[in-house]
Amino acid sequence: MTAEGPSRVFFDGQRLSTDRGGSGRRFRADPRCFAGAPVRDAYAHVCALVYEEAKLPFDTPEVQQARRDALAWWIPLLGDAFICLTTLAVDSVNYGGAVTVTTTPSFFDEDPFARLFPGTVVRTDLFSAVLPPPGPVVERYRGVAWPGGRHPSKEGSGRGGGTPV
Amino acid sequence: MGSVALRAGEPFPDLDLPDHVGRQRRLSEVSGGDPLALFFCRGWWCPKEQRYLRELARIQDEFEVAYSRIVVVSVDPSEVQAAFRAGLGARFTFFSDAERRWLDELDLRETTDTVHDPYLPSAFTLFPDLRIHRAYTGYWFWGRPTMEELRQDMRAITMAIRPDWRLM
Repeated sequence: MTAEGPSRVFFDGQRLSTDRGGSGRRFRADPRCFAGAPVRDAYAHVCALVYEEAKLPFDTPEVQQARRDALAWWIPLLGDAFICLTTLAVDSVNYGGAVTVTTTPSFFDEDPFARLFPGTVVRTDLFSAVLPPPGPVVERYRGVAWPGGRHPSKEGSGRGGGTPV
Repeated sequence: MGSVALRAGEPFPDLDLPDHVGRQRRLSEVSGGDPLALFFCRGWWCPKEQRYLRELARIQDEFEVAYSRIVVVSVDPSEVQAAFRAGLGARFTFFSDAERRWLDELDLRETTDTVHDPYLPSAFTLFPDLRIHRAYTGYWFWGRPTMEELRQDMRAITMAIRPDWRLM
């Protein structure tokens, strides 16, 4: 649980679930994706595998570049169909995949995250609309799955900021 | 005439405008708790803007790993901004004020260009709460912040808001 809500999500190769004790591999997603009203019958392009070994450090150039591509052209390409996007964190260091959620599956063949782990199209009612990340930041905040998180405000925390990762 | 004072220490208005994809955004939301470099430019057609924004596209590689944001505002429609942004290779956000809602409120109307009726080229470095750290007038190109000045401003803001980072 984070200040913005639950971030746990399970993927069994065919379905996504946020249920406690759900089946499949467990990831952390951007909690904002589950914080609002869910969009019904959305399409999720899940670029992840169920095997625990399928992970890469977030800092590898390939993972960095997929995030840059998401900011540069992937999200603009999706246009109004875009609902939300989140990477799937395995832990504070490792990337396990990404999910792009849309109202139509038209452009999933172009998904830059599918270069890292292959994509599976899943119909889902789990995700809510989140404004796309503004960029150019590709770093993460306190281990929250990109593009989620933010540094605590000076006023709110009594301190100047959070811990960069 | 503008009703706000765009001076250091003053709050910058929380602009609400569509971005380069046409989604409604707010400046405070895009800031996301990070320092922000905000630029007003004439538009895609201006050689000065083309030159300057190519520099911003280069320095975005530093912003992206330093928890700092960039926003560019122009009167270009969103779809024109999207094409311009793609051509630059930019990964930061553009705000479109094609309806010129904020031009006079901010007192940033460029009066010599009666064809495009654009913004006066200017730049502001902002704290996360949108307080102005420093303001630049770039009508004459050399008035714009250099990339080194942007680095210095981002460092100064970060030192002020994140003392636990112990920047020296």
